[in-house]
Amino acid sequence: MLDLVWLIPALPLAGFLIILVLGRRLGEPRSGYLATLMTGTAFVVTVGVFIDLLSKTTEERAHIKTIFTWLPVGNLKVDLAFLADPLSITMALFVTGIGSLIHLYSIGYMHGDPKFSKFFLYLNLFVFSMLMLVLGENMLVTFLGWEGVGTCSYLLISFWHTRESAATAGKKAFVTNRVGDWGFMVAMFFTFQAVGSLSYAPLNEAARSGSIAQSTATVIALMLFVGAVGKSAQLPLYLWLPDAMEGPTPVSALIHAATMVTAGVYLMVRTSPVLAIAAWHWAPWIVAGIGAATALYAATIAVAQNDIKKVLAYSTVSQLGYMFLAVGSGAYVAAIFHMITHAFFKALLFLGSGSVIHGMNGEQDMRKMGALRKLMPITGFTFIIGWLAIAGVPPFAGFWSKDEILLFAWDKSPILWGVGLVTALLTAYYMTRQVIMVFYGKARWDDHAAEHGAHGDTHPHESPWTMVTPLVVLAGLSVVGGAIQLPFSATTKRLESWLEPVIATSERPLKSGSEDIKWVLAGIAVLIGVAGIAGAYVVYSKKKVKAIEPAVLANAWYYDKTVSDFMGGPGRKSFEFIAWFDQRIIDGAVNGAGRMVQGAAGVVRKGQSGLVRTYAALIGLGAVLLIAWFVFRGVAQ
Amino acid sequence: MGQYLPVVCLMILAILFGVVSFVASRLLAPRRPSAAKQAPYECGIVPGRELPERFPVSFYIVAMLFVMFDIEIIFIYPYAVSRQELGSFGFWEMIAFTAVFFAAFVYVVARGALDWGPVHKYRRLDSAVSAERTLSSTIRRVGTEGRLDEKAA
Amino acid sequence: MIVAAGTFTAPSIDWFALAPLLVLLVGGLVLLVTASFTPQWPKHLYAYATVALGLAAMVVAFVQWHAITRDGPKLLVGNAVSYDHFSMFGIITICIGLSLSAMVTDDFLRREGMEGPEIYGLYLMAAVGGIVMVMSNDLIVLFLGLETLSISLYVLAASNRRRAESQEAGIKYFVLGGFSSAFFLYGIALIYGGTGSTNFNRILTAFDSVPLQRKDSLVLVGVALLLVGLGFKVSAAPFHFWAPDVYQGSPTPVTAFMASVGKAAAFAALFRVFVVALPNWKDDWRPVVWVLAILTLLVGSISAVVQTNVKRMLAYSSISHAGFILIGLEAAGHSGASTRSGMPSSMMYLMIYSVLVIGTFAVVAVVGRTGDGATDLGSFRGLSRQKPWLATALTVFLLAQAGVPLTSGFIAKFGVIEAAVDEHSYALATIAMVSAVIGAFLYLRILISVWLADAEVGDEKREAMHIPISTGAAILLCVGFTIYVGVNPEWLIQASDRVVLVAVPVVGG
Repeated sequence: MLDLVWLIPALPLAGFLIILVLGRRLGEPRSGYLATLMTGTAFVVTVGVFIDLLSKTTEERAHIKTIFTWLPVGNLKVDLAFLADPLSITMALFVTGIGSLIHLYSIGYMHGDPKFSKFFLYLNLFVFSMLMLVLGENMLVTFLGWEGVGTCSYLLISFWHTRESAATAGKKAFVTNRVGDWGFMVAMFFTFQAVGSLSYAPLNEAARSGSIAQSTATVIALMLFVGAVGKSAQLPLYLWLPDAMEGPTPVSALIHAATMVTAGVYLMVRTSPVLAIAAWHWAPWIVAGIGAATALYAATIAVAQNDIKKVLAYSTVSQLGYMFLAVGSGAYVAAIFHMITHAFFKALLFLGSGSVIHGMNGEQDMRKMGALRKLMPITGFTFIIGWLAIAGVPPFAGFWSKDEILLFAWDKSPILWGVGLVTALLTAYYMTRQVIMVFYGKARWDDHAAEHGAHGDTHPHESPWTMVTPLVVLAGLSVVGGAIQLPFSATTKRLESWLEPVIATSERPLKSGSEDIKWVLAGIAVLIGVAGIAGAYVVYSKKKVKAIEPAVLANAWYYDKTVSDFMGGPGRKSFEFIAWFDQRIIDGAVNGAGRMVQGAAGVVRKGQSGLVRTYAALIGLGAVLLIAWFVFRGVAQ
Repeated sequence: MGQYLPVVCLMILAILFGVVSFVASRLLAPRRPSAAKQAPYECGIVPGRELPERFPVSFYIVAMLFVMFDIEIIFIYPYAVSRQELGSFGFWEMIAFTAVFFAAFVYVVARGALDWGPVHKYRRLDSAVSAERTLSSTIRRVGTEGRLDEKAA
Repeated sequence: MIVAAGTFTAPSIDWFALAPLLVLLVGGLVLLVTASFTPQWPKHLYAYATVALGLAAMVVAFVQWHAITRDGPKLLVGNAVSYDHFSMFGIITICIGLSLSAMVTDDFLRREGMEGPEIYGLYLMAAVGGIVMVMSNDLIVLFLGLETLSISLYVLAASNRRRAESQEAGIKYFVLGGFSSAFFLYGIALIYGGTGSTNFNRILTAFDSVPLQRKDSLVLVGVALLLVGLGFKVSAAPFHFWAPDVYQGSPTPVTAFMASVGKAAAFAALFRVFVVALPNWKDDWRPVVWVLAILTLLVGSISAVVQTNVKRMLAYSSISHAGFILIGLEAAGHSGASTRSGMPSSMMYLMIYSVLVIGTFAVVAVVGRTGDGATDLGSFRGLSRQKPWLATALTVFLLAQAGVPLTSGFIAKFGVIEAAVDEHSYALATIAMVSAVIGAFLYLRILISVWLADAEVGDEKREAMHIPISTGAAILLCVGFTIYVGVNPEWLIQASDRVVLVAVPVVGG
């Protein structure tokens, strides 16, 4: 079964190719079902591989399946190979599992869209790329997937490209992601330089044995982190993720909550020995610091958003920050654990919000919702489960993973723990606010009926079965998901023992003092969560206290605006200056002079001859500079 | 430097001569312009058409052929001088050169460069050239007047 | 200088070693003469003849490649021409470019109603010039090849007489090309003055034979001028100004030919001159190449972003590719020619890029429709709906140009960057990566138009796109090569690893 690991990415790829060729003939809904079937089958295969791996001893739980040798350059040999080990299979399990659910959901959500089959085309391509990313045996295969998911994300954000904002958002995502890609590339070349290979195994081995120089290891780790910051939307590159909500909601759930954005975390865990063992000791502090800062920062913004999806987007950024806090604190198991539970409940929340948007005929403003619980009972019920999970209420999944991260953060530094705690409070607060605004209180959609124009008679309705089924499944997972890693004893820490071969050496052992007070910390976390919920209840349901939603938070601390002002102003200017040369002087030959022709013929002749002269003059200038250099070399002997 | 002295002297003399004649004619010649004097000189006949006059392209082609043969001569002449020394190698080299040259000449002739008869052999260029400039280009096409006549005919 | 009587000895000529050159030269002449007598023959015969000649020359070059592997390299024709793996690799690249361009040109000429066989004759002559450049071991021979190539390209650029842009391109290229040739020629003169020879081996050993200082200004200025002349031909910034205009204005298949054969030959010459003849001055020219590479990379990738015409974008992208190859030259300037890395990776880059660029321009030629004018970004909108396979092919080419793994472009870029890292040119490697990142935006912009955007309003009134057979075949071949090399690059890497350039010992003094 282990050798069949190549089937996992191959199936979505097959789906992609079939839809590419036959997409138009298949049409709606068949291409949707085909795509779902392919991802679902991939999930089944993954489960098979998973069971096979479970039956092996801990030492044997890493299987490399080489498809072919790809790049044999001198001493560098890169294979197109897949690695089946506990970490990659865990990732593959939830990528294919949640992927299939979201595919199913999309059949209902995208109903009637003229580009129905194209949507599934991209979706399957995305799942394929994501699986390449997580299953890659070396950095190059991962990079292939990394580029692939980036491109798919771009294509899917701009899916409704006729909307200007969607096109801009796509562009933004692309540009910021390229910064991350650059980091990854640099890390790749340094790795090759340091260990003569791009495979993870030798890199991690070298890091464990200390054969990489500390400085090199730090550069590799931090460059990988730059890549992760771009992909996983951390400060200061988080900008694209909230904008990415312009894409269809299933895309937000799949790519921008559950899978792609966690690729950065995955990468850090995959190369964990480099950061945890080989790099300078302050390197993890940077990761933890940025993670904690992002978590808090994004949570404050989420408090004041009115768009149902924007709240969830900032919440995602915040939760990803949590995961990096875990990585920086050496809690790699907790990072993966939180990644999994987060994938469950955040996908659930996004799909729930999609269902609400679907039911409200495309309305996303929470101020125009309210009391939807009665009209959309299943959506409402599952959304509430998601809310409890993210708010950290025991025994829902989110509580256990968040608790473990906080424990490690406390162990690293009480300051990090404090930041995490405040974030938890805010998380509970803004999620409660959202639930109340959407599902409770007074129905407000009638107030705005007039604005809706053509479909003025908004009547929210429950969504079709294809959309509701995934909600129910994910809700179930959000309830019991914590069971994979319970902190009661060593035997209940199933995830930890399962992941042991991958991260055993890099996981930071807790100080004994922290271990002792872990139930106290858990108690505090629960209290904080309840406090957040209660606070929001008082403010938004009882309306005892006036809501504090300052404009500075609603506008995301004006960070986005500042950046775009800069990019639109001086940044763009300097960027264009380099292009100006060719724009004005060179481009002028065809366009500029062409424009002049319309004006006066006499000017043209002058302009024309002047332009070729300009070329020659510039070439001559270059020649003079070159000669000057060489003469200088001659004189300076 | 000594060996270049005559060259330098010659150069200076040549420049001097040009400058002196120019200045002298400026200073000495009387200036009484009239319309007849300013008209282009056409063998003493009053010009019949506005300039610029357009010459048939065949003239240029003949001129080019002339240059081509010039080059051939320039190449063959030194060979003729040192034919003995170069021996059979030089002979075959010249054969090869002449063959290539001849191929080009055959091509030119076969394409009708030396046909001076009525225009039937010329390619029609009407569609290719218009008197107006286009907005997309800055090339100024000169001398299309004759072709326009041809089109009208 | 007149040869004194009795001292002349005829150089022995190994005719077989010159066979690829002769096949194309004789073939070209025969083709021209035959064509002028048989105007009634179908035009595509000439295209097939050109492809056949290109393939024949390539087969000969393959045979010679193995002969060189067996017998070792040597110098020919009085040490003026070198016969080594580098030559053969260059010749094969040029022949691939020639054959593929001819395939694309055939349909293009019929669609545009352009004249027939001269273009093929010029292609063949340009290829001959290119081969002379690749094989040259003497500056004069190199110049001969350079001018043969360039003059053919000038005429080719202007060959579409119906389009003023084409004539404009021809004139501009001619004027500026002549300008740069003058630099080059002057450089040859100075080098000759300084070292007493134009032969690469003699220049290399000039220290031994004449009392020469490395800091002799005469030679140094000569090196500068050679760099200007060749830098122009490879469109390195700041000598790149001609490229966007000429690439945009020339008939599309000619642009493809120019970007593949022209660029490959010019780069090969650059390597010959600087790595074989002038390694003693490498500490002087390497910093300049470093600066040129960075300028070229940045100008190419940044200026491309603001363009709206696809041909012009591709011209800038071609400039940025030149920057990547200059990185290879810089790397070769560190270690000399004998190590693997700089030289082989650059030559491989040239071959891969030649195929890529012809494929890309073939698609552009099809999209350009009759008149060759519809090459703005708008004309590519909605291509995926009208011609999905064409759009897929274009996607493959552009992704490869962007350097996405599993395509040949990645292998190429990886090679040169690895070479730079090997030589510890980290700054250069980093800037190359940054420019690859910026450059990707350009390709993605085209892809967005192709896949996501709807066709322009009024597009349905335009003539339908038509993919002719031989162009289609050329595109298919290019896609096949791009993906095959991307997936299985081993053979190409191993072949190019043989391309180490060292001065071949002089035969018989």
